[in-house]
Amino acid sequence: MRHFKVTSLIFICLLLVANIHAQTYQALRIPDTLSGTTFNLVMKDTFKQILTGQQTITGGINGDFWGPTLIVNKGDLIHMNVRNKMNDTTTLHWHGMHLPAVMDGGPHQTIPPGVLWQPFWTVTNNASTLWYHPHLHEMTVEHLMKGLGGLIIVRDTDEAKLALPRTYGVDDIPVILTSRRYDANNQFVVQNVSYGDYMLTNGTPNAAVSLPKQFVRLRILNVEIERGYDLGFSDNRTFYVIGNDGGLLNAPVPVTRVKLLVGERVEILVNLSNDAIGSSFDLKAYNSNQAFGFPGGEPNTSGQFGSLLNNIDFPVLHINVAASTANPITALPSILINNTYWTAANATVTRNIAITNGQPGPASVPFNFDNVSFAINTINKTVQKDAIEKWTVTNNNVFGHTFHIHDVEFKIVARNGNASSVGAYESGWKDVMYVPRNENVSFVARFTDYADPIHPFMYHCHFSNHEDGGMMGQFVVVDTTQTGTQTVFNENDFVVYPNPASSRLFVKFNDINTRAYYIRITNILGRTLMMLPQPELSNGVDISLLPAGTYFMQLTDLKTKSTVVKKFVVE
Amino acid sequence: MKPVRYFILIFSLFATLSFVARKNTHIGRAVNDFQLRNTNGTSTSLASYPNAKGFMIVFTCNHCPFAKLYTERFNQLNEKYSKLNVPLLAINSMDTFVYEEETFKLMCDKANSEQYLFPYLYDNMQTVGKDFHAEHTPHAFVIWKEAGKWIIRYSGAIDDNGEHPELAKPMMANAVDDLLANRLVQVPETASFGCAIFYRK
Ligand SMILES: [Cu+2]
Repeated sequence: MRHFKVTSLIFICLLLVANIHAQTYQALRIPDTLSGTTFNLVMKDTFKQILTGQQTITGGINGDFWGPTLIVNKGDLIHMNVRNKMNDTTTLHWHGMHLPAVMDGGPHQTIPPGVLWQPFWTVTNNASTLWYHPHLHEMTVEHLMKGLGGLIIVRDTDEAKLALPRTYGVDDIPVILTSRRYDANNQFVVQNVSYGDYMLTNGTPNAAVSLPKQFVRLRILNVEIERGYDLGFSDNRTFYVIGNDGGLLNAPVPVTRVKLLVGERVEILVNLSNDAIGSSFDLKAYNSNQAFGFPGGEPNTSGQFGSLLNNIDFPVLHINVAASTANPITALPSILINNTYWTAANATVTRNIAITNGQPGPASVPFNFDNVSFAINTINKTVQKDAIEKWTVTNNNVFGHTFHIHDVEFKIVARNGNASSVGAYESGWKDVMYVPRNENVSFVARFTDYADPIHPFMYHCHFSNHEDGGMMGQFVVVDTTQTGTQTVFNENDFVVYPNPASSRLFVKFNDINTRAYYIRITNILGRTLMMLPQPELSNGVDISLLPAGTYFMQLTDLKTKSTVVKKFVVE
Repeated sequence: MKPVRYFILIFSLFATLSFVARKNTHIGRAVNDFQLRNTNGTSTSLASYPNAKGFMIVFTCNHCPFAKLYTERFNQLNEKYSKLNVPLLAINSMDTFVYEEETFKLMCDKANSEQYLFPYLYDNMQTVGKDFHAEHTPHAFVIWKEAGKWIIRYSGAIDDNGEHPELAKPMMANAVDDLLANRLVQVPETASFGCAIFYRK
């Protein structure tokens, strides 16, 4: 009898452990996908049950926290219908995409509440993991904190030829890492918080996922405010970096740890072929005992720069090994794609940027570049179209930062002047790089296409609190070979028809070479309803959603950038 | 047991700190009567209710997903407390210039289709929202008649669980119960959250 009792006691204990685990872990949410060439995105204020008790007010794109994964193909012309249904102006930036500045969704492409913004472009990026997120100056922290954003997967034929896992949600898993601090009412703390206290992986607390017993691909994105992750697995297994921000590397790079700073993406392959079905392990952040200046290494557990997750090792995703799928990837490819990288020797222009200010004190200025804080009407750099440039970012400051540039993917060519100090794990195309304290980092990029002397692209620290504080600058890409006679564009140069219109509105220019640069449609009260950057007008403008009434079309032409207003009626 | 006790101690310390840190208290401040268009076709003011001891004033709107969770509770609260001369008035102070979904026409449609049994009032000049300092939809107030004036006696959340009313602690209703029993309101102020109300300059 005694023996029986002990056995049953052990059994009860096991049940309890199982029960605790069942309560502790939640199934990793896999964001829905949208694919095709037209994408409808609705940004809204909403709520989500994250903790027990009161729901948390969040922001959603088509959902309640973090938006759908957009799957696009290189070469496709894609159209975005972005509707802002939030109570606040915002923007939506396509992080990593090469596109015209006026489509970029940076701080200039503001979308007021209620407005439909319709950027479009041809995807020229290689197969890669990009993302989209709000980028309104001084509001980036607040909008990102709400959970507004989403992943973009670019596919192309070179990647498709490779034997790589690519069944989304099965052996190709998005892993979006962030954390939050909560107040007594279960609401996100937004003010003066550099680090959250509790992990959210794809918006799921204590996330766990079942992965098949084979090679599995993780597309990991850091969407923290400031925290970096030094990622590895709880059994210290070797895994393989196959892609950086801008696409696949030449060959997989074996590692046991990889640092991932805010805004960076890494694609990795993990071999589960030798794991027992039913076994489990963790993807972890090994953030304890980092060199000073690693964001999240500070020892404080509370306050603006403290966190319960600072300076400790903690799990970010629990992995349960399940049976393999029908056509598993069982081998690691020895080579991936054949990238042609720019080298420092290719650069014809060299720029140096210093990370300045940010020290506490009575006359403290927030972190900025070259002692100049972001100003919305100041263009900081002018780049010639097609130029290959080398930029060196120097951080002789008090803390680590990241550096992100829009428009291009770059190649890191040196750390502290040494090409050999660039890690193999960061040897691919990048658009965000870590600039640790007491280091200078150089990259080379080519600024092709999309010259526009008026609309700038951004470069900034991707810590959104630093960016909001002014650690951002603007550059324009200009084409000096293009010269045009400046004739004034006026209301006699085009007609809008039919008038009244019902479903489509057409624009006819007297000069067939005239191109529309921007169209804004407002109602009679002056409220903006639609914003169409560089609209393709051959099929007219879809106005079927506008209620009957009188409207104004403000049309800016491409050549002279002058704006003409015409009235039209919708019946 | 020790660690648990420490935890509770630390927790209560935090609670105290956050309470002390709260500013812009609304409690005890008088608000003005108003005259607003009612979705039932009439015009409504506080004076329309000569027997009222107090009111539950809830700022809400058409489009906010979190505010939408409360319609049925508004019906129930109004049903219960109107009889005790503490009716519920819902006010929409959203900027209808910016938010097309908040027009009076759409308010009427919503009140009809969702069978609002409480007055739904259109604060198109945002004057009432500003007078109350309403911050979110929803943001609840309990006002009480004291010496001929309307005094704010509760400000904050309606309850502490939007999606699961059966699990919620009804803070606004508790305040009304306290006032009806001539007690001091035990929890006069809580945080309101939901969609932000932006005021025209
Ligand atoms: Cu920074």
